[in-house]
Amino acid sequence: MAAAQVSPLSGSDDSPVIQADGLGIEFLRNRRYRLSLREMLLQGRMTTPKGSFWALRDVSFAVRPGEAVGLVGANGQGKSTLLKLIAGVLVPDEGTVRVRGGVAPLIELTGGFVGDLTARDNIWLTAGLHGLTKAQIEERFDEIVAFAEVGDFLDTPFRHFSSGMQVRLGFSVVTTLDEPVVLVDEVLAVGDQRFREKCYTRMEQLVSGGRTLFLVSHSEKDLKRFCTRGLYLQGGRLVKDGPIDDVVTQYNDDQKKKS
Amino acid sequence: MSLLDRARAVHAHRRVLWLLVRRDLKVRYAGSVLGYLWTVLDPLMMTGVYWFVFAVVFHRRGVGEQPYIVFLVLGLLSWQWFSATVTDTSRALTSEARLVRSTRLPREIWVIKVVGSKGVEFLFSLPVVALFMVIYRIAPSWEIVLLPLAIVLQAILLTGIGLLLAATTVLVRDLQRVVRIGLRVGFYMSPIIYSISDIPHHALRRLFALNPMTGIVELYRSLAFPDAFAGWGVVGVSAAICVAVLLWGASVFRRLESPVLKEL
Repeated sequence: MAAAQVSPLSGSDDSPVIQADGLGIEFLRNRRYRLSLREMLLQGRMTTPKGSFWALRDVSFAVRPGEAVGLVGANGQGKSTLLKLIAGVLVPDEGTVRVRGGVAPLIELTGGFVGDLTARDNIWLTAGLHGLTKAQIEERFDEIVAFAEVGDFLDTPFRHFSSGMQVRLGFSVVTTLDEPVVLVDEVLAVGDQRFREKCYTRMEQLVSGGRTLFLVSHSEKDLKRFCTRGLYLQGGRLVKDGPIDDVVTQYNDDQKKKS
Repeated sequence: MSLLDRARAVHAHRRVLWLLVRRDLKVRYAGSVLGYLWTVLDPLMMTGVYWFVFAVVFHRRGVGEQPYIVFLVLGLLSWQWFSATVTDTSRALTSEARLVRSTRLPREIWVIKVVGSKGVEFLFSLPVVALFMVIYRIAPSWEIVLLPLAIVLQAILLTGIGLLLAATTVLVRDLQRVVRIGLRVGFYMSPIIYSISDIPHHALRRLFALNPMTGIVELYRSLAFPDAFAGWGVVGVSAAICVAVLLWGASVFRRLESPVLKEL
């Protein structure tokens, strides 16, 4: 098995920001591991039980700075898994994925928030967790609040927020991060029409500002709006890597054939 | 990544670690009326109960040191830090699953921050010891300088146990029950309400010295009862076991990380 790890890439400005080589990850079909405590504690590993499958395998690609890449594929073909591997919240079983600089993950947007604390405390916490310093948070605090439109509720416990407000705050915090890579997992589907437009505008600003975008979406409109390049995943394998229009066309053809 | 690399990664994120510790304390004190008092009340009540049972009902003057209540409170506070941390670390990853899944911090942080925040609560509860020592007019001995050593040893031990439990309980949920039972047994099997010198046989005493909490509690108690200190041999054994547990826990955690993340 190849060394499976996530480590920073170094290199000149035009070298890839994301580099995946032979990426693979194996999951279990049934939820439970065959439990062997002795093995876990003494050897610190587990034998792979039967009934496992590869959610992703042999996935290799490189993304250059400033590229906007859309991940295309039906449900359960490994799109979110790939995003999580890039974000470093899953560890590959095979191959490597390397990211130069950090990522701003728009995955589980409200994950960092604590219900019992106020919105103000939560902004400080989440921004801090994603690596912003005190000075940086102070500087951006007003902007985060203004964008999320939660100015009147700063001292309200987060659990009293409506789900729309919670997501707005999450989106607002994560998109103010300076990370060169932005990962987006379907979150654009939430919020009301007006706020969604606002999010779209900010995403476009991020891309035109030179950030690298990695987008998972089922919306053809969104994919074509933001992305120039498409990756098509099928059964955990990368079956096509090309201009977004071609990739979407092939995906649609495949879907039609099935139905 | 080697263990050393992982340690470096955690060190690089110490600011986030501190942030999480503060968050835990804030959450703990945010929704409660009595707030800080709880940190003190719980061990005080337990001290009261044990003191009543052993000193008043059983008239056991032979066990522990006099005044027994000071002897008790030192052991109980340190045990409270131990048991609260073990309970919380055994679900450290599951209870923070959403955060673990959305940030790429070194995963050890979720365990260490529990040790840290419970450790801060322990420090906050130390004034209770001072209060009792004032009441019983006991001047602290020079051994009070050993307090940081005891705290560091206990933090090392708890981090090791925590890493071990945090990873394995994700894969084997039943372990959380085992932990609860283990803690109850551990309380009576550690010299908390008695002292290691109260154990009858020499061989049995040796066995008890293998419990890393023995040496740690001895260190805490030496600040009020320097004459009853069991000696550096016991502390040395404790220290060695603490470090061994940490290394064991860290290596198990590292190797189980990938399956654990998939299960979260």
